[in-house]
Amino acid sequence: MKKEAITIENLHITYKGLKKTSIRSTFFNKKNRKKIETFEALRGVSFTIDEGKIIGIIGKNGSGKSTLLRAIGGIFSPDIGSIDLHNNTVSLLSIGVGFNKKLTGYENIYLSGLLLGFNEEQVREKEQEIIDFADIGDFIYKPVKTYSSGMYSKLAFAITAILETDIMLIDEVLSVGDVQFKKKSYGKMKELIFTENRTVIIVSHTPKTLNELCDEVIWLHDGKIKMQGDPDKILAAYEKFMNE
Amino acid sequence: MKDVVRLYNNTKKYSRYAIRSAKAELKSEVTDSYLNWLWWIIEPLSFMLIYVFVFGYVFKANEEYFIPFVLIGITVWQFFNRMITGSIKLVVNNRELISKVYIPKYILLISKSFTYLFKLFISFVLLIIIMLIMNVPFSFTMLYFFPILIILYIITFGISCILMHFSVYVQDLANLSDIVLRFLFYLSGVFYNINVRLKGKLGFLMLSVNPIAFLMNEFRNVIIYDKIPNFSGLTFWLVVGLIFTYIGIKLIHKNENSYAKVI
Repeated sequence: MKKEAITIENLHITYKGLKKTSIRSTFFNKKNRKKIETFEALRGVSFTIDEGKIIGIIGKNGSGKSTLLRAIGGIFSPDIGSIDLHNNTVSLLSIGVGFNKKLTGYENIYLSGLLLGFNEEQVREKEQEIIDFADIGDFIYKPVKTYSSGMYSKLAFAITAILETDIMLIDEVLSVGDVQFKKKSYGKMKELIFTENRTVIIVSHTPKTLNELCDEVIWLHDGKIKMQGDPDKILAAYEKFMNE
Repeated sequence: MKDVVRLYNNTKKYSRYAIRSAKAELKSEVTDSYLNWLWWIIEPLSFMLIYVFVFGYVFKANEEYFIPFVLIGITVWQFFNRMITGSIKLVVNNRELISKVYIPKYILLISKSFTYLFKLFISFVLLIIIMLIMNVPFSFTMLYFFPILIILYIITFGISCILMHFSVYVQDLANLSDIVLRFLFYLSGVFYNINVRLKGKLGFLMLSVNPIAFLMNEFRNVIIYDKIPNFSGLTFWLVVGLIFTYIGIKLIHKNENSYAKVI
């Protein structure tokens, strides 16, 4: 029997007038207060994903792809509707987990692990593997603020890739580190994607990657699902639409 | 009720993170500085010396046991001050983290509070040493230190939660809080005894509306003056603290996932 890993029902996400304000403008600029701008990034998206499936999400800029991923990752909460992950752990691969820059890379491995829902024992088991994969030498024991941006993303990728969660969300094509690391991370990503039981959602602009990797593709357009189904069919329709 | 259960579950789930992060933070503070952990002692000690010099010598303060008296004031004030200042900008400073992974936002505050509590305890150890040197008599009323500390923690935490929430949206909250904190600092009796200096209604009023002044006074009473605390006052502030905490937690629960959209 198929087990559902992600169930999304009628998901709406709105960016309200949550603009920053100052004390002066709140008290003295009453006109501004009434004008609340809202932008609906997602308006009524529903779908279910079975465990072990690889789903691609495609759509033009501003169609709500990244918002959807972040909502699934728990960073945004739904304004209307619901997201049920059926108790699976989830991580946003490729952008990694946020680091505390004052602390060492080593310490950040543990903190990230704890935030991703692992306990310290589990992180300890994977610690060496992460350090080896990140391959940043002695810098692992130095504060993250001393890292180059390449080292930063290498470590971020290593942590999310080695600490495997049940659901992985991948935003855009990976472009991490130098050529050598890129190869390694792409290989690792493929390995992760094709592991049985792991549910993966990939967001991309390039139909080719999605066609290669996915079981099913969802086409988001203006915050709604325009089409959903077989990659060949959807991607062909998408390309036709984009070229018009 | 729902919010209380959620607070409990989250605190349990993320307690390891909060502790680990606090420890790491303290460690990084130490490794980054020249005098290492000595700062944790030097800081309260030097403030104490400054106030003792200015108010004890220049202004001729004659509070009994003035040195421990001032040290208690500084310790309590520093904790409150650090919590309030820390809570503002806490979300913005952790932008990296909260735009990438879900974390209940008050866990950040709890983790920070552990580092401040740690410093508070160091200050209190220092206090004990100074009391020994100065031959201040020890008494059993000192044990009331713990319940008073818990009340101080709850009320400070409640206020900090509320401020943390608003600081996400109101950019210049920090400017306002600086002024209010400075005002509160002078009103709380860090270096003078409100009961003695402001006799009658004014002193009573200041101790009744300002929880920090009140709690500071209670700390001094139980630690150095061998007095039984004012239980009705403590209960009152405990209730107020719990109400603040409840409001703060509710605000955060309701809005925390929108923070990532703003910062």
